Amino acid sequence: MNGMIQNRNVFLDKIANRLGRDRKTIVKRPEWAYHPQDEVLKNATQDELVDVLKEQCKNIHTDFVITNTAKLSDSLKEVVNRYGGGPVITWKDERFDQYGLTKLMKEEWPQDGVDLHVWNYTKKEENIEKANVANVGITISDITLAESGTAVLFSSKDKGRTVSFLPATSIIIIPKSSIVPRMTQAARIIREKVKSGEQVASCINFITGPSNSADIEMILVVGVHGPIKATYIVVEDL
Amino acid sequence: MAMKTSVEKFNDRVDKGLQDSFMRGAVSSAQERFQTRRLGAAEELGNWEEWRSHGEEIRQHVLDNLDYYLFELSENVSKRGGHVYFAQTAEEATSYIQNVVEKKNAKKIVKSKSMVTEEINLNAGLEKLGCEVIETDLGEYILQVGDHEPPSHIVVPALHKNKEQIRDVFKEKQGYKKTEKPEELALHAREKLRQEYLTADVGITGCNFAIAETGSITLVTNEGNADLVAALPKTQITVMGMERLVPTFEEMEVLVSLLTRSAVGQKLTSYITTLTGPKEGGDVDGPEEFHLVIVDNGRSDILGGEFQPILQCIRCAACVNACPVYRHVGGHSYGSIYSGPVGAVLSPLLGGYDDYKELPYASTLCGACTEACPVKIPLHELLHKHRQVIVEKEGRSPVSEKLLMKAFGLGASSPAMYKIGSKMASPVMSPFTNGNKISKGPGPLKAWTEAREFPAPNKERFRDWFKNRPKGGEQS
Amino acid sequence: MKVTLFATCLVDMFQSDVGKAVVEVLERLGCEIEFPESQICCGQPSYNSGYVEDTKNAMKRMITTFEDAEYVVSPSGSCAYMFHEYPHIFQGDPIWEPKAKSLAAKTYELTQFIVDVLQVEDVGAQLAGRATYHTSCHMTRLLGVKEAPMKLLKNVKGLEFSELSGKERCCGFGGTFSVKMGNISEQMVDEKVCNIEETGADIIIGADAGCLMNIGGRIDRKGKPIKVMHIAEVLNSR
Ligand code: SF4
Repeated sequence: MNGMIQNRNVFLDKIANRLGRDRKTIVKRPEWAYHPQDEVLKNATQDELVDVLKEQCKNIHTDFVITNTAKLSDSLKEVVNRYGGGPVITWKDERFDQYGLTKLMKEEWPQDGVDLHVWNYTKKEENIEKANVANVGITISDITLAESGTAVLFSSKDKGRTVSFLPATSIIIIPKSSIVPRMTQAARIIREKVKSGEQVASCINFITGPSNSADIEMILVVGVHGPIKATYIVVEDL
Repeated sequence: MAMKTSVEKFNDRVDKGLQDSFMRGAVSSAQERFQTRRLGAAEELGNWEEWRSHGEEIRQHVLDNLDYYLFELSENVSKRGGHVYFAQTAEEATSYIQNVVEKKNAKKIVKSKSMVTEEINLNAGLEKLGCEVIETDLGEYILQVGDHEPPSHIVVPALHKNKEQIRDVFKEKQGYKKTEKPEELALHAREKLRQEYLTADVGITGCNFAIAETGSITLVTNEGNADLVAALPKTQITVMGMERLVPTFEEMEVLVSLLTRSAVGQKLTSYITTLTGPKEGGDVDGPEEFHLVIVDNGRSDILGGEFQPILQCIRCAACVNACPVYRHVGGHSYGSIYSGPVGAVLSPLLGGYDDYKELPYASTLCGACTEACPVKIPLHELLHKHRQVIVEKEGRSPVSEKLLMKAFGLGASSPAMYKIGSKMASPVMSPFTNGNKISKGPGPLKAWTEAREFPAPNKERFRDWFKNRPKGGEQS
Repeated sequence: MKVTLFATCLVDMFQSDVGKAVVEVLERLGCEIEFPESQICCGQPSYNSGYVEDTKNAMKRMITTFEDAEYVVSPSGSCAYMFHEYPHIFQGDPIWEPKAKSLAAKTYELTQFIVDVLQVEDVGAQLAGRATYHTSCHMTRLLGVKEAPMKLLKNVKGLEFSELSGKERCCGFGGTFSVKMGNISEQMVDEKVCNIEETGADIIIGADAGCLMNIGGRIDRKGKPIKVMHIAEVLNSR
């Protein structure tokens, strides 16, 4: 259902009036005179982008792990152990199965006593409670920005927003093919979807390392409201 | 708190600032760190001037077509089920938000940092309804717990406080027992605030950039507090200054790239989130109801006039961090939530000359702000324009100054007058002269000689030497 | 080459030594110097205070004074910049705008003129000592003369350099600012002088009479044994 819009006409009329003209009903998005964003990491190969991402992880207090599909399960298990084990919360995402993580999630973790909650929208608020007490949140990057070391996550009913915010630590799986030079390419991908009639996700997160603040004497504190630690696991053959 | 943060006179505020040695130490070292990071980030990016020009062209295009883009934005928010309220005044905005809050029977409200909500004094309006309003940005939380102190910097609100002072605030108000280590202080706030997010009825956010094409809003933080404010409570209200929007995701990206580099020297901050409408279908987290309040509050009066460029501002505080005057007087001297060069231009426009006529003079017109601004706002020129308006349109300059300037104008345009004046300077000043300097100057020179010597006028003016010297370029 | 000197009112009245040095340096470089007597002041003090209309007569006088000049050279970046502002101030004025434009086009700050027009980087100067250099705001940021002074100073024999920390930060002069906001100005110039002391230099060099009057006045008041020199005086040392 459409939302309400109030007071619009007087408000916009005043603006047009101040600008000394009538209200505009058509404005074409201009051809911009400058395009500096196209120059950044222009012509970089996928391997070079991985290197850039790896370097940037040092700046953003994020651990960088590189692996392949065959070893992903072990790598993930190891990072979760390093973070002190469960409880773990993940999205409900078929990619976990495609990436060969079924055995880990359905057999190994239960055996090892690692409590795993998979996001289940029919359980409503219970998901948030689980996320709030989780030690580790695991998500998958939809688009990854090499320059800034950013994972882009699109929310949906199966991909809860709070999985990446509430747990004490965050692990983001990054398929190598999802890496692009910078936010420019992500913005274009999103715009293409919009133009082809797709709805943008109600929440798109551009996440760059763990939460932090320099509000006290400009001293950096990592982990304020969101995760205190973060690891990116790049999967080379995906 | 409204935009105005003090009832004291400008000079008293400045004196207080100049005497606060902790604040001054904190500000100058913060300025240096910010500057180094900003310049480093710009250099690393490369083509910085081109980036600035691109930022400028985007902002100018939006302002020139503001009615169109706001229309498009509101249509698209509505299509996604969000409500849009256009508020011409602070009162309209506040009463709309009060209404929503009352309808929801809300008791607890969490907020993420938003200058415009400060500008319209929203917290007071909500507290009047009996609501508990909790700021979640760490810096703002500290100020709020410490008896609602005003912010002294638009990006780092508690810049003027040291960790010991913060520890004492938490100790006194919340029984905090640990040390002044920033990690421990932050952890304390984390624990307190986590509970608040989970139990709040309404979340209020600001908006860094709205995106017209999709009806989205963008929030930029390092702490992730805005995300929790928007994800957990059932109702989300976003308040934006009417100029804070862009056509599409692509322009948003450019401005965010400029913002994070200019504000904190980061390529991107930890959390950049675009939110579109309330939650959908089966979404578990996210608000059930979304309201976007678009605030004018004096901005439209700036449009179409000589001060329009200030509306290009993306609130990065690069100008604040570059300003040599802010460096010494600190944020509270400006008497406005908007401090530094941007504050000195904006506060008189939004708040009037009665309260803010001194601010445009609190500048040497050194241009450091203009050079730092990522969207190329000619800040020092706008400060100068204010002076012109104050003198020529408002006639507010002191009579003594007017006379002096008239005399100067006359002296500088009439050779006869100049000749008398400049020739007389040396004999006239001789009673005050001691050797080749003046240590206790009369009249306007007094302020100068309180801090430094003033040179005695030459006995022989340069022009006299030139006229009398042997011609033909022989060495004298 | 014929050079018309725009000495500035501060130099005329307070620092004639600077004016003399300019004349001597330029003559040595083969220029023929002319000094039109009708020049007074570029108008900055009242213009910057907001008295734009009241200053226009003074500006017009300067435009007329230099109308026939080939090159206008000034030992002050700030005053030279003011000439560059004239076209902007007289924008839309059918008589004065074109004249202002032609004045702006031929106006140079001294070091800019020597390096860019005369194409000289070594003027053959010699001065023993340890120096530091303050970059004046208007000259560097607004007029855009950044490199010329250092190019010339590097070639002064016997002169050693220490970098001034915060060299681009305003010294607190700002024309009428220095008296209108005397208390703030005091703190600014004090910091500048402290920074100069930290370099251990015994000479502070600048290219703008206003800044030097401010910095020098403070050094003098604090009784520090640091010599204040205009760059013209340095270039004229041998
Ligand atoms: S005026 Fe420019 S530099 Fe200052 S806060 Fe706004 S955008 Fe940033």
